[in-house]
Amino acid sequence: MTRKTIPLLAALALFLILPQLIAVKYYLHLSILALIWVIMAQGQNLIQGYTGYVSIVQAGFMGIGAYSTALMGSHFGLPSSVTIILAPLVTACFALLAGYPSLRVKGHYFAIVTLAFNMVIFIILLNFTDLTNGEAGISGIAKPGYGRGALIDFNDRQVYYYFVLAVAVLMTALAAVIVRSRIGQILIAIRQNEDLVASVGVAAWKYKLFAFVVSAMFAGLAGALYAHYQSFINPEIFGVAQSLDAILAVIIGGSGTLTGPVIGAFFVVFLPEYLRFADSFRLILYGLILVLATIFMPRGIVGVARDLAGRIRGQ
Amino acid sequence: MIEILQQIINGLAIGGVYVLIALGLTIVFGILGIAHFAHGSVSMFGGYLTFFLVAQQGLPLTLAIAIALVVGMVLGVLIELLAYRPVRNANHINAFIVALGLTMMVEGFNLQFFGAEQVVIPTGATRVFNFGGLTLPELRLYVILGAAALIVAMTIFVEKTKTGQAIRAVAENRDAAILMGINVQMIPMIVFAISTALGVAAGVMVGSLFAIAPGVGEGLVVKGFAVLILGGLGSIPGAVVGGIVLGVTEALAAGFISSAYKDVIAFVVMIGVLLFRPQGLMGRA
Repeated sequence: MTRKTIPLLAALALFLILPQLIAVKYYLHLSILALIWVIMAQGQNLIQGYTGYVSIVQAGFMGIGAYSTALMGSHFGLPSSVTIILAPLVTACFALLAGYPSLRVKGHYFAIVTLAFNMVIFIILLNFTDLTNGEAGISGIAKPGYGRGALIDFNDRQVYYYFVLAVAVLMTALAAVIVRSRIGQILIAIRQNEDLVASVGVAAWKYKLFAFVVSAMFAGLAGALYAHYQSFINPEIFGVAQSLDAILAVIIGGSGTLTGPVIGAFFVVFLPEYLRFADSFRLILYGLILVLATIFMPRGIVGVARDLAGRIRGQ
Repeated sequence: MIEILQQIINGLAIGGVYVLIALGLTIVFGILGIAHFAHGSVSMFGGYLTFFLVAQQGLPLTLAIAIALVVGMVLGVLIELLAYRPVRNANHINAFIVALGLTMMVEGFNLQFFGAEQVVIPTGATRVFNFGGLTLPELRLYVILGAAALIVAMTIFVEKTKTGQAIRAVAENRDAAILMGINVQMIPMIVFAISTALGVAAGVMVGSLFAIAPGVGEGLVVKGFAVLILGGLGSIPGAVVGGIVLGVTEALAAGFISSAYKDVIAFVVMIGVLLFRPQGLMGRA
């Protein structure tokens, strides 16, 4: 039992009893969305927080995951349990195609090229109506295990909560394994000084492409879980604005940490809801919080918490 | 042939708007290294303000544009001072996140004060000229000429004036510029004032040619960055060439391939250029 194990187990216990603590159904719904966003944010953190490349296409990849699971289900009659696993692989193929040209450029160039990819994905989802049904979207996407006499009824929100929680924990653990491996150390080295990494003979581009494709798989999986949860998808929520939310989740939570994306994901799902009272001031407030947070706590909530903990321990 | 020429003329007008947006982005990027993502929303603010002054306050168009330009310059200076200056010495990702926050704030402000409906700035320029089968609406002509005049004015300012020289010096080497007695605290404010004024001009053009609505600014700023990448980051001639190339490509794509996919084609061109010339069309290797 190290000092880190206890808070980890406490957090896990909290997530396990959370549905019992929530009286309002709507908050359970938001919690499921937030857990899906944890997966999304962990992926974003790999490329943004650890590798230092701001990708603005994550919501587009989420869309590819969501549409591929829905279309594979309806066109090939595959069960949801299979399509949810295939969706991240389909997303990975697209990410390979997008990543190769994007990763030839650095810094702002990369951010903007990925942004353009998100717009391309969005335009295609909107206009390729034969396949995607355009703005009207795809409805009636089956829940996993539904209608096959399954023991577990995924239509029950609480069951879906635990299902998504399990996947989110698994993916966070996977992110931890990647980050602590040699690959993860090289990614961090690329963030610190890419030229230096190249000068010791490491093919940095392979590692960057790996981080980009893996982050896309996380997003694709999040998209698939989202599609089956909502039973309905349309292009609207796979636009650039949602990619920005993924970036915010990482920054506000604390980039380059494993806890940060978890906190950040809940933040970006719940905060806009709490600001709903403010109506159209909501956007202004949300933007203001973001600007102030970046200026005054650039290391995110986790960074502030660590500073506080350090100060308490020091006294 | 006539059809191709016609599309090229159509493309020049929107290309001019892209050039103005990209010029505003490129001077901020070239001198301060900031990817000023809120630029599109600020442009739309300028367009909305002009519409408000003309349609609701009954001011003449030229006066309304002049007021919008001045308000835009003040706004640009405030953005530099309050939002970007505090993160100047931090990681460049931080400045980018601040830009995203600013975008939300300006978008929210636009929604709050100008509403969500799409508006078109009334100009009264409705005549259509005809040159041997080519049609040229008066308004498009004004946009092309206005954009060209602003590009020339901006080039003269940067190349010929003392302030322009100081801006270029800071872009070249900030520390050496300080030693030469240049007030480096003032330069970013001047740059943001000019950049925002160019953006407001572009916003007025978009508002009179097409329409202003929530979300238009986002598309515009992405096109602006696409132009920057096409032309080469931080290069003024690159922004001009890139803007015209993107505008004309888009018009040709809309006319001959598909208008729904014109943006996709524009981005494919951009990505294609990056694959073969990562430094952009006019950028230095």
